[in-house]
Amino acid sequence: MRSALTGVCLLLALPLMGAEAVFYRALNLNGPALTIGGHAWEAAAGARDVKVSGKTFENQKVLLKPPTDTTRTQMIRSSVWGNNVDVEMGNVPAGEFQVFLYVWEDNNNERFDLLVNDRVVMEGFESGTAGMWKKLGPWPCESVGGRIKVSAHAASHGAANLSGLEIWSGGAAVPKLAKMPFVETPAPEQIAFFEAKIRPVLVEHCDKCHSAKSEKIKGGLLLDSRAGVVKGGDTGPALTPGDPAASLIIQALRHSSEDLAMPPKKMLPAQVIADFETWVRMGAPDPRTENTVAAVQAKSSIDWSKARDWWSFRPLVAPQAPAVQNAPWPVNDIDRFILAKLEAAKLKPAADADKPALIRRATYDLTGLPPTPEEVAAFIADSSPQAFAHVIDRLLDSPRYGERWGRHWLDVVRYADTAGDNSDYPIPQMHRYRDWVIAAFNRDLPYDEFVRDQIAGDLRGGANDEERYQRTLATGYIANSRRFGSRVEDYPQHLTIEDTIDNLGRSFLGLTVNCARCHDHKFDPITTQDYYALYGIFHSTRYPWPGIELEKKQRDLVPLVPADKIAEAEAARAAREKEQARLDKAAKSLKEEVKKAAPDKKKALEASLAATEKAAKDFASRPLPFEYAYAVAEAKKREDVAVQQKGDPARPGDTVRRHFLTVFGGAELPANSQTSGREQLAGWILAGDNPLPARVMANRIWQHHFGRGIVPTPNDFGKQGKPATHPELLDYLAVQFRERGWSVKAMHRLIMLSRTYQLGTARDEDAVAHDPTNELLAGFPRLRLDAESIRDTLLTVGGNLDLTPAGAHPFPPQSEWNFTQHNAFKAVYETNRRSVYLMTQRIQRHPYLAIFDGADPSASTPARPTSTTPLQALYLLNDPFVHEQSRRFAERLRSFSSDDTVRIQRAYELLFARAAQADEIAAGKAFLASAARQLREDGMNAAQIDTESQHAYVRALFRLNEFVYLD
Amino acid sequence: MNTPHSSRRREVLRSMVGGSLLMPGVLSELLAAGSADPLAPKRSHFPAKAKRVIFIFCNGGVSHMDTFDPKPALFAADGKTMGLGGGLSNQQRVLLKPGWKFRPGGQCGTMVSDLFPKLRDMMDDICLIRSMKGDDNEHANATLGMHTGSFFFSRPSIGSWVSYGLGTVNSNLPSFVALASQMPYAGTQIFNNDFLPAYHQGVRVVGGKEPIANLDRRSQQRGLQELELGLADVLNNRHLSARAHDTDLAARIRTFETAFHMQTEAQEAFDLGRENDATMDLYGVKRGDNESFGWQCLVARRLAERGVRFIEVVDGSSSKNWDDHADMAAHEGKARKIDQPIAGLLTDLKQRGMLDDTLVVWTTEFGRTPGVDGTKGRGHHSACFSSWLAGGGVRGGLAYGATDEIASTVVENKVHVHDFHATILHLLGFDHEKLTYRHGGRDYRLTDVFGEVVRDILA
Repeated sequence: MRSALTGVCLLLALPLMGAEAVFYRALNLNGPALTIGGHAWEAAAGARDVKVSGKTFENQKVLLKPPTDTTRTQMIRSSVWGNNVDVEMGNVPAGEFQVFLYVWEDNNNERFDLLVNDRVVMEGFESGTAGMWKKLGPWPCESVGGRIKVSAHAASHGAANLSGLEIWSGGAAVPKLAKMPFVETPAPEQIAFFEAKIRPVLVEHCDKCHSAKSEKIKGGLLLDSRAGVVKGGDTGPALTPGDPAASLIIQALRHSSEDLAMPPKKMLPAQVIADFETWVRMGAPDPRTENTVAAVQAKSSIDWSKARDWWSFRPLVAPQAPAVQNAPWPVNDIDRFILAKLEAAKLKPAADADKPALIRRATYDLTGLPPTPEEVAAFIADSSPQAFAHVIDRLLDSPRYGERWGRHWLDVVRYADTAGDNSDYPIPQMHRYRDWVIAAFNRDLPYDEFVRDQIAGDLRGGANDEERYQRTLATGYIANSRRFGSRVEDYPQHLTIEDTIDNLGRSFLGLTVNCARCHDHKFDPITTQDYYALYGIFHSTRYPWPGIELEKKQRDLVPLVPADKIAEAEAARAAREKEQARLDKAAKSLKEEVKKAAPDKKKALEASLAATEKAAKDFASRPLPFEYAYAVAEAKKREDVAVQQKGDPARPGDTVRRHFLTVFGGAELPANSQTSGREQLAGWILAGDNPLPARVMANRIWQHHFGRGIVPTPNDFGKQGKPATHPELLDYLAVQFRERGWSVKAMHRLIMLSRTYQLGTARDEDAVAHDPTNELLAGFPRLRLDAESIRDTLLTVGGNLDLTPAGAHPFPPQSEWNFTQHNAFKAVYETNRRSVYLMTQRIQRHPYLAIFDGADPSASTPARPTSTTPLQALYLLNDPFVHEQSRRFAERLRSFSSDDTVRIQRAYELLFARAAQADEIAAGKAFLASAARQLREDGMNAAQIDTESQHAYVRALFRLNEFVYLD
Repeated sequence: MNTPHSSRRREVLRSMVGGSLLMPGVLSELLAAGSADPLAPKRSHFPAKAKRVIFIFCNGGVSHMDTFDPKPALFAADGKTMGLGGGLSNQQRVLLKPGWKFRPGGQCGTMVSDLFPKLRDMMDDICLIRSMKGDDNEHANATLGMHTGSFFFSRPSIGSWVSYGLGTVNSNLPSFVALASQMPYAGTQIFNNDFLPAYHQGVRVVGGKEPIANLDRRSQQRGLQELELGLADVLNNRHLSARAHDTDLAARIRTFETAFHMQTEAQEAFDLGRENDATMDLYGVKRGDNESFGWQCLVARRLAERGVRFIEVVDGSSSKNWDDHADMAAHEGKARKIDQPIAGLLTDLKQRGMLDDTLVVWTTEFGRTPGVDGTKGRGHHSACFSSWLAGGGVRGGLAYGATDEIASTVVENKVHVHDFHATILHLLGFDHEKLTYRHGGRDYRLTDVFGEVVRDILA
């Protein structure tokens, strides 16, 4: 078989004199002389006219990213390092030269500048994660005084790691090493070799994972066709013709590292590997003609016109309300859509809700609190046709409304008061965003403005400073993205940005855009290019730094000062930090002096230490003259980014222009845009031809009124979501939402004034039998109070709900922050304020909210689950908070009247917004008598018995289904 | 569910209100439907020996080359520099020899160091894995990964997955209990149900007087609480009678019944009063102790007996644990503290015939570096570490996988954390690729998109 090889011609092109630069010298900066790319590399140690500073380092175990051939790998993984490394080559003839430098990273990212002949050629180079390497250059230069000097200067604590230096003479292009091509037309003996030695091995050992027939194609590599071999996989070309050592397939067959070992379980026999090497040396002759790459691509590529036909991407067109048989029943068009479906299913709507049930429903719905007995009485007494409309108006005008509906939005944007890194650093400023959301609902900020402000409020300016501050605070939405890890080096910003994109996609578009981080979305028409197009926008955005274990201080917050005072404010802050540092340093050195001081001087020094320490502390506690917002700003560098292959930032692919999702037309930023693109992004999202924001938000509003969205998956309008139960109704609402100026309050009125909203919950047997989950809404769905409403109701009836403005949480002062993953920030702050103001940690769940299905603070919660667990029952049985509120509530009842019947009536009015029935009063009285009997047996006096039996009665009522369910 | 208590309460109430409110039959009819119980026992995908798990987690990173992974070459290489070394990552550091002698244990002769003499005697029952591998060198991330299969994002805990898969056989106790007197790294995330329904949330048990929050009856008089529940029962049934198709309402009524019983039954599970001296000695627990690691292990057995599906035993907190950067000698005291209780647990389970259907897991979040950290300590090392399994369906007496001569990297039979999880689920009868939950538009599973069952260690 060897003879077959002799016919193979190695096509090595010769460099053309004059037209191309000529290889001059190359140095392996730490290690032996080598041959790389056909050129002789010298060992720097001992090479003539060469001086190298820096310490030597070698670690041949680090896996290089991307992998390269063996010799080059060896050269790269031994290097010289330090924070100032110089490599100087003397005795260089005059003329033009071009310099290439090999750098690598053995552990954590370092940052340094690179200079040639003392001129900076690269500023702030980042070395990346362990195993990353780069061949930098070419940097043109001239020899200065017969010398070429290449230097690396690191900032205070960085260290450069330089492996090799390659110098070419002449200003013309450096020739690319001519590569042996893949054999185009294999000779008969090559075909014979392939058929005998290669194909059977590929079929037996590789096909399972690397063929078009594979259930899952691993590593994006197809080995079942020539096209697949030529194209290679995710980690690069499968082989380099003519160069087995540089070929990934050979390295994998040799199990050259843990992550590059194929087949994974067992290495193939040495002879088989030798055959593959031979084959690679031949130029990989391959007679297979079927193009499986094209076939697989054709199967997976997106047909855009078909994709745009998905229901939720189709344009919004106002649908005609359907005709119904029972014409007098509907009050508005909503009812027509609902009734038409009921009639089609031959079902009848339930009777209307009675007034007490309706006002209880509406009051909880809009404010999260129970109606007062007086409000109930007034509604019952008001017999005008506008009675309910008046209730709605009153509730919408209440500041409690924003606290309720703002909370729904905070669920969607996974609001938290801490950062989510391993130490979960507090964000003392975050509450300003929470308050902005609440206020936005209260003032009925149009939804399009609401979206714009959160994505790009800082770029929008404002009619006055206050408006500008408010819009800046709104970008707390982006700033609140989750942080990860403990370190600054290697900080996984790509995960924080993923969190932003994930939430942005779900919140505003109802799409799981982040699924396209590592690969094109498996179900929806969103490509990896789309993902990194959005990524570029947030890469070009400066996120505030909340502090992390190894860099505890906040930075990059945005000062809320007039536009022309920003520089001044930043300067004031810098000056202040400098002064603080000076005071701290002075105190520290005085402390040392005290330790060493002679006895006679000790006292005086101690006094001066005390004074300095006090000065430092006083200075630290002095408030800044302006406020800082935990908000975003434009980043220093605003640029497009490269696709991260498989979601790995260490594997950059092609750079993509910042643009919007292709399925919506893919509008893009101009080349070299000088803005992050956030403002444009908000515009693209809200563009008239994008139907999703209106559909998604109209669905959310409906969802919170009825407990379930028309689309039951409010964050997913893609193929994995559930279909709409009433698609025309959803479009009707979405069109109305736009036409009514994106007013959320207008939508409440529209929905709540429908007859459908005002239905009772008692459905007839037909409806229950044919529509067990009540999708068709023959009756109003019985709703359970969420965690906040239960707690707020207990505080309300206990008479101690604190409605004063909530403001900031009592976090410890920043100067005392020392949180680490060993001592992570953990706190539960008791408060009698509404539950929306509870301090919410990203990592540690609030114990109460965890039991009662509170929002997930680390991921968007589109709809609260409603679990029913014994732990909830235990809470209502025994928690001190419940006992305290029941005690207070019982005292209220006792002071209201001394008559048990009146007390029971009052309890029912306060808790259930209705009058107690005779049998319920009888049951209550019977209970009080039994309790009294028992307490008397326990030796209590009459006063104690009255108190304790009343407490016990109230505790029982707090556990009723009627307490937590709304009819 | 109709226990003597509840019928007595209803009796009392019936006499109180003359029976007019009671709707006998409605509740029991609804409950008989059974469909409303999300924790009803469920079948696994295929029959399996293990019915429950006791998951012992040692926080901080237990050194493998000082405990379960003998490296004669490392003893010889003390003070030399070779391969990967210490610190938080892959830096080269001077190698540090292990601090304890290794000796063979059991019939199988698996080598274990003097840090775990009692466990060493149990090696015939233990399937040791010396080739574990994780993805992250940070405590919090590695701890999260070991519990949820995700090293960065919050996901449901393995215990929640098991609860979701198997339900529970004792509705008076939670299906998933985390015995964590102190909170480990990553906090509540380690026993969080995350997107799985809240029934599958791990209930944290702390030592001391009230092991589970709100388990103690706060009203002084038991009789009064029974009366309260009786009244609520009557009024709830009245409410239900007009809404009889609503199973959610019925299910909620029942949770009060369960909670009522938990107050006594769960308390009983934590009370070691009925354990005899021999058993107490086996775990090294003294009378009156209600918080030590031994107490946790003994309570774990009691919970296992009472049908709890997944019991996690946490050793150490996020600040006091095995993270010995300064001096490896500190491993000694920590090992002393847990060696006897864990060996006692295995012995006890075996004596009671429970080891056959109980899977005991011992692990840590990562190993430690062969190179020195500080002057005598070791750094974090996720590239390899040791864990073990015992009981339900695993091959005792086996030492599986291997690291290189200085314990710096896996060279044979790598078991990634995802593989470890896949294997645990397999031992419980689950195909880890099919135990999924639809959330946010995707089917999630404990093993993400990874994991292979390590078939070689199955009995």
